[in-house]
Amino acid sequence: MQDRFAPSDPARGLDVTRNPLVARLVRNRHFQFFLILPNQIVFWAVIFIGILGTTVPGLNFGAAITWYIWFCLVFVMMVVVGRAWCSMCPFGGFGEWVQRHSFWNRSERSVGLGLKFPEPLARIGFLIPVVSFLLLTWLEEFFNIAGPGNPAATSFMVLGIVGSALAFFLVFERRTFCRYICPLTTLIGTVGSMGTVAGFRTRDRDICLTCETKDCMRGGEHGYGCPWYTWPGSADSNLYCGLCSECYKACPHDNVGLYLQKPLTSVVAPNRRRIDVAWGIALLWGLVLYQQVNALSLFGSLDTRLNNAIAFPHYPDPVDYLGIIALLALATAGAAWIVAKLLARRDLDLTTPGTFLERGSRFRTFFAPIAYGLVPVIGADYFARQLPKFFKHSTRLVPAVQHVFGASGTQSKLYTLRLLTNPRIVVVQVSVIALGTLAALWTTWRITNRELVPVSRNGVAIRVVTLGLVLVCGLAAGVLYVLMHAAS
Amino acid sequence: MTLLATGIPGTDGSTANCTGEASTAVRPHVTVLVDRCAGCQECVVRCPTGALGMDSHRWVAVAEDALCVGCRQCVRTCPFSSITVEGPLLVAERVEVEEARPEHLVGDVDEIRRGLGSWEEALAESARCLACPDPTCVRGCPAHNDIPAFIHAVAERNLGEAHEVLRRTSVLPDTCSRVCNQAAQCEGACTWSLAGGTPVAIGRLERFVCDNAPVPPPRVSPAVVPTTGSELSVAVVGAGPAAIGAAWELVEAGAAVTVYEKDDRPGGLLGWGIPDFTLPEAVAGRPWEQLTRAGVVLHCRTAIGPGDLDGLLAENDAVLLAHGTSLPLRLPVPGADLNGVTDATTVLQAGKDILERGGDVADFLSALGLSGTGPGPRTISRVLVLGAGNTAMDVARTLRRMDLSAVCIDWLDEQFALVRPDELTEARAEGVDVRFSRTVTELRGEGGWVGHAVLAHTRQRSGSEQPKTLSEQPDVISVDLVVMAMGYRADPAFSEALPGAPLRREANGLPDRRWMASGILANSASEVAFSNPVGTLALGREVGLWAAALPFRDRLWAAGDALVGPSTVVESMTQGRRAARAIMAAGPRAPGGSGHRGPRRVLVAYESRSGHTQRAAEAAAGGFSERGDQVRILPISKVGPEDLAVADFLLVGSWVEGLVVARVRPAKAMRTWLAGLPRLGAKPVGIFCTYAVSPKGTLAVMRRAFEAKGAVVVAEAAFGPGELGRDLPEKWESGPVAFGRELAHQTGRARR
Ligand code: SF4
Ligand code: SF4
Ligand code: SF4
Ligand code: SF4
Ligand code: SF4
Ligand code: SF4
Repeated sequence: MQDRFAPSDPARGLDVTRNPLVARLVRNRHFQFFLILPNQIVFWAVIFIGILGTTVPGLNFGAAITWYIWFCLVFVMMVVVGRAWCSMCPFGGFGEWVQRHSFWNRSERSVGLGLKFPEPLARIGFLIPVVSFLLLTWLEEFFNIAGPGNPAATSFMVLGIVGSALAFFLVFERRTFCRYICPLTTLIGTVGSMGTVAGFRTRDRDICLTCETKDCMRGGEHGYGCPWYTWPGSADSNLYCGLCSECYKACPHDNVGLYLQKPLTSVVAPNRRRIDVAWGIALLWGLVLYQQVNALSLFGSLDTRLNNAIAFPHYPDPVDYLGIIALLALATAGAAWIVAKLLARRDLDLTTPGTFLERGSRFRTFFAPIAYGLVPVIGADYFARQLPKFFKHSTRLVPAVQHVFGASGTQSKLYTLRLLTNPRIVVVQVSVIALGTLAALWTTWRITNRELVPVSRNGVAIRVVTLGLVLVCGLAAGVLYVLMHAAS
Repeated sequence: MTLLATGIPGTDGSTANCTGEASTAVRPHVTVLVDRCAGCQECVVRCPTGALGMDSHRWVAVAEDALCVGCRQCVRTCPFSSITVEGPLLVAERVEVEEARPEHLVGDVDEIRRGLGSWEEALAESARCLACPDPTCVRGCPAHNDIPAFIHAVAERNLGEAHEVLRRTSVLPDTCSRVCNQAAQCEGACTWSLAGGTPVAIGRLERFVCDNAPVPPPRVSPAVVPTTGSELSVAVVGAGPAAIGAAWELVEAGAAVTVYEKDDRPGGLLGWGIPDFTLPEAVAGRPWEQLTRAGVVLHCRTAIGPGDLDGLLAENDAVLLAHGTSLPLRLPVPGADLNGVTDATTVLQAGKDILERGGDVADFLSALGLSGTGPGPRTISRVLVLGAGNTAMDVARTLRRMDLSAVCIDWLDEQFALVRPDELTEARAEGVDVRFSRTVTELRGEGGWVGHAVLAHTRQRSGSEQPKTLSEQPDVISVDLVVMAMGYRADPAFSEALPGAPLRREANGLPDRRWMASGILANSASEVAFSNPVGTLALGREVGLWAAALPFRDRLWAAGDALVGPSTVVESMTQGRRAARAIMAAGPRAPGGSGHRGPRRVLVAYESRSGHTQRAAEAAAGGFSERGDQVRILPISKVGPEDLAVADFLLVGSWVEGLVVARVRPAKAMRTWLAGLPRLGAKPVGIFCTYAVSPKGTLAVMRRAFEAKGAVVVAEAAFGPGELGRDLPEKWESGPVAFGRELAHQTGRARR
């Protein structure tokens, strides 16, 4: 078992809970509550101010904080930490408070039906949340929520997320919503794998093997069972650790620690590649490219023409939206398929039967590692996509806050202040992409060497092809940013 | 899988080549939800057939359908519900045993239930057992008999070995296998039952062992036979199952045991409360024959009242109260004081003698004091029995054997009834009219003698709900005799000696994690127990066992019904053994005084999160060790009842939880532990806490909790950053170390 996890296990010294102060903090049952509380306050403020406040989007606190600041911050947290946002998320947090009917105490019974997520749906893993992310993004574009347009739209969107989260927390057990539904979960999970926090992991697997109670999974005296269905004893990436610290509190053997890891470890190291994650990556890649393409004038006319053809009111036309995303995702997968076709060793039988998640095939053997390797470019692309809004408008938060108290307005200097302007923004964007591409080249190099070279007929060729693919992706994103002229 | 070869479709390999559909129809199919399987191996270690293993690359469980028997243990124990099993339970039909159906019921006292008739049957039945690695049946059995082990011995045709296994946990296997409500105990908790199938006939197999090889007598170890005069002497009050369990354990350990029984024969409920047709005289009498032969001194017709306790304590090292519950419950309805209203004890005691003499109803009436001359009717034929539990069934079936008609009523709905299902079937087959959802609202007399009973209808929608009386027209039936058979209650005379008894057998707080992990709590199990899931019942019984190990006051223990109210034979017997072990652990008292001989036993129990409290506990314990006390230091989660029972002094420490100012109190685990503590007698206790900012009322909360359990708090201390500075030995020296030293000195001196 030790061997199986050796590549992804962080070094013992990276356990931050060895510091007694950190240990005390994380052990405290109020810890997560106080992480969630500020966000909870902000998001209820977003909801109310969005509906009741000014209709000037840039001056409305709700719209301003959500679209100019929050999204950027979440991205930074993802890239640096992993699921840091999940540990403080007010949507899940609210649902969880209700489900546990407690803000911080360990309660024994939960409110709601406590059902398990239906198996056929659980079997497709990340595909549901990817679809919900695509849907949410489409709605965002259609109603121009993120523009931001009418601030009330932002409120209703947030309310919609809180409401559906609550519904799922009441119907299903644990954080079924976070794991199977939440529109952000795929993005945070995949991009977050670049992060430097490995999550909560067991310190000594031998203790776990003799542990009779598995309190970290079932819940114990001091903590709930893992709400994310993760066993700290077998986690090989930070994909599914919501950093809630429950396992740390629950383990009766004090055998859980919070570990740091080198950046990109969770991209490179996991032994088990998940096909749902690979498809998620491909679709997310399609989406972010779509969001770049749609800023081009060429796209505008295509969208209008399609809308006329199917009598759809306005941008974004669902056909080209889904069409372009699917095309790009399939192109990524197609590239992997071709690579597999040409370079896979003939003497190996890579097919194993099973369900969607379990099956093995030649295509999957190549597609999954290639997709994982692309994560840094995609992460960089999403991040770069948010930068114009941040640079052009983030200072509006100050007048927006003032406006809530009746002061300030669009005439405020800060309302029109821009931290950076057009050509410079593009330079930053392209640099971010370049950095992402470099990181992806490194991850892909590592992954290819470890996983693809042994199954390829030609070690040099597979390395050249996979690295080339990364370069193509990085180049495409970079070029598009130049063409977009820092459109937000 | 030779184990399962009997009559199971699909195990002979013939279906192995069938098409998928055909083979899934007869074989279970296991699905691991690979998305959620965390590879924890909980299912793998519990699968009895080795059908589960690990995929070492993906690190998820993988199943081999061909080996799976569909027992669902994996489903019950997976912490993340990541595994499902479809398809049949691959287990042979249970070996059915016909009951005896006496042609002439009147006067018949032959045993109704029959055991397995032959080795073939026993082997076939034992082959149904899966020898589960984490056997839930063992948790379901109140005695925790090692069921798979004794069944394995049967399968090996080794009855001696089977007895060896059983005697580790039970001294009444012959009785229990007859009178246990297996459906709510071992068999209800058998994995087949939890999976919705027919459990292994554990009771019948246990009986088979006892029917075919005598239960070995107590083994008095010659080494301990007293010559030095230093043996333990114990007085036991009562001679029922709890007393049997205790006396057995004690006499085997070489203690001198004296038993006081108020009736003229020992056995308690076993003697007079269970009719011969359920528990034959020979079986019921066996334990006392063996015990007296082993040297237990038995005084029958010797009633012990609360006033005699001091005397007994003066003469013995310990006293165990196992006097049971013998006072019948009476229903306070109008007319309850009429002539012709009697109780179960009277009927059963009289009935036992009369049936032995042929079951003449005239004898019976005169035994009840109703023979013709009084104001009552000349003949009695229609008897109303109030209650439809096991006692009521025994009463009614006894009456039927004297050719009387019997109607049993119970206000519970039949589906939530408390009676053993087989007992109910037997009673009905013998012509007992059992009516559920009825309650008596009035008894009407004729000339001072009961003549009619008014029975209202009731409705009960769930097991936990109390039945409601409906306004619908009540039934009025003619009766000549009414027997109150709702059960028994403890003698209130002892309530002062046993404060808090009878205690509720309900587990507080989070269920024991190991029990949860075993999967016994996950299902509501057998039909019989569904209003009270078998796992919850079993967990509740642990509370009684825990309590039995603890004395009520110095050297006074209680067990069985006296401790927990009406309970089963096996539970009482086990409590008796528990109490006996605690008595032995406490050892002989010191000459002329209380306590025991030898060094003082100090238990230091702590709840620590960061390690501070543990270190403080260790530092304080040092003071006791220096004095030569025998010190044990344990986290509270590891403190068992025996540990508490034998400690002469208890030192307990907790960390302080809460925000700086709000809700500052002992840590939750400590509070739960304190709330769950049994009576501590007048045990001296020292308490301390460790805090970061301020302890506020923490010590007061702990003190009150201890006092509520009867303990005496003799010292308390709070240690803050001032006393627990990191690596500052001089601070520790003035803090916990000094506290321990001072406390050890003072309390030690007081004792000498
Ligand atoms: S509770 Fe602790 S020791 Fe047990 S499995 Fe979980 S992490 Fe390991
Ligand atoms: S319980 Fe532990 S492993 Fe599970 S999400 Fe929380 S911190 Fe992560
Ligand atoms: S159902 Fe029973 S035999 Fe089948 S895999 Fe599960 S535990 Fe093993
Ligand atoms: S118990 Fe559940 S989570 Fe653990 S290995 Fe088995 S199927 Fe997987
Ligand atoms: S003592 Fe009773 S509960 Fe235990 S195994 Fe025997 S019959 Fe079952
Ligand atoms: S009696 Fe039932 S639960 Fe017990 S070991 Fe046998 S099959 Fe398993």
